Amino acid sequence: MNAVADNGNGNDNLRYAEYVLGVLDADTRAAVAHEVQTSSEAATAVAIWQRHLMPLAEEIAEVAPGPYVWARIRDALKLDQQPVASQPSRGLWNNLRLWHWVGIGASALAAACLVMIAIEPRTPPPAASTGYMVASINQDNGVTGWTATMDLDRARIVIVPASPQSIVQDRAPELWLIPAGQKPISVGVIARDKPITLTLSPNLLAQLGPTAALAVSVEPLGGSPTGQPTGPVIAKGAISGAPDAQPPATKVAGTDAFDPQPRA
Amino acid sequence: MGVESAVDHEYLARLLSQAGRGDEKAFAELYRLTSGKLFGVCLRMLRNRNEADEVLQEIYTTVWNRAASFDVAKAGALTWLVTLSRNKSIDRLRQHREESSREATDFEGIVDEQASPADGAEVSQEHRRLQDCLDQLEPQQRKSVREAFFSGATYNELAGRLNVPLGTMKSWIRRSLMQLRTCLEP
Repeated sequence: MNAVADNGNGNDNLRYAEYVLGVLDADTRAAVAHEVQTSSEAATAVAIWQRHLMPLAEEIAEVAPGPYVWARIRDALKLDQQPVASQPSRGLWNNLRLWHWVGIGASALAAACLVMIAIEPRTPPPAASTGYMVASINQDNGVTGWTATMDLDRARIVIVPASPQSIVQDRAPELWLIPAGQKPISVGVIARDKPITLTLSPNLLAQLGPTAALAVSVEPLGGSPTGQPTGPVIAKGAISGAPDAQPPATKVAGTDAFDPQPRA
Repeated sequence: MGVESAVDHEYLARLLSQAGRGDEKAFAELYRLTSGKLFGVCLRMLRNRNEADEVLQEIYTTVWNRAASFDVAKAGALTWLVTLSRNKSIDRLRQHREESSREATDFEGIVDEQASPADGAEVSQEHRRLQDCLDQLEPQQRKSVREAFFSGATYNELAGRLNVPLGTMKSWIRRSLMQLRTCLEP
């Protein structure tokens, strides 16, 4: 590589700095990550650069994730804990004692680098459920806001906007599953302007069926902070095509529809 | 929320260690206290809420599985978590952005070159020191370093965004990094 000239291990050191800053392409990045695992010198150099640059992260404001994220983590890890409020806790982050950048040893950062390349297996969808279900989520004026297609095999739901009404700025539409006679369960934040694919937790999968409904409410950008709808419900729709109904005549039509959403 | 004043660095490190030993309650508390910050890191880099949701889930899955490797004696729990979050976010960016890198218009603009600590946050001594060193860089170079840190962009993407040749961007960043090193390691 055409690193700038430097004395001693300058070029290597520069590469570690570039790695920590995050400017390397995927291949070079993987090579440095491997080096960090296998060389204590590399791990130490990376740790020093972490210490140098990481204080910049103090400038990043907190954003509360939607409550469904914790629900997904719990489901994926099979934890028993009840949902926690994921409110930002500013007081904590403003506490300078947290930001102990100095004196951070190399080993922990090397561990963090190791962690980076760890690959977690995806939770396989429950084997019992098969097929697809669909729902038109209609607005009060009768116009379809979104259509939802649930792929039970892959535990995914794709929500495609049809003609959703406009939403106040700084608010987002959030999709809910409402089992008959029960409280709404958050599926996730969706969009007015593009299809969104969300993962269906085992809990959600278990509740899907012809007696359940989908609804969209208007929520703060990260999703409802309470785990229940806090804003007006703007669209609703029944689910059709139960998992125990006859298998779909053809699954071919559905397969392409579940390709990941375009990134462009 | 009232409890934060009692929360400190050691508490966070203890939660992380307890989570490493399979303590679900400690893990839930760790999530409650740290998810807002880590989600902010992911969102800033990925600029896509659904992706940030997914990466945040990956991060905490990794925390649960690997917290045992966190060394309470040697590391800041926060450094460990923020580093992990940046690494996961950058990995995600590299997975799909290189073949179809986003249009410059997708970005709300390059980050402001002015330091702007999170609302109401005090700035640590370490941050002030880094800021002093960044202030000694040429404005364009400082802007490039900051944009690189906050966006996780590659050299190529940075060159495109700041509209300079790739070679220029590389030499700006490399020179800046060496200058920062000299400034921070007197």
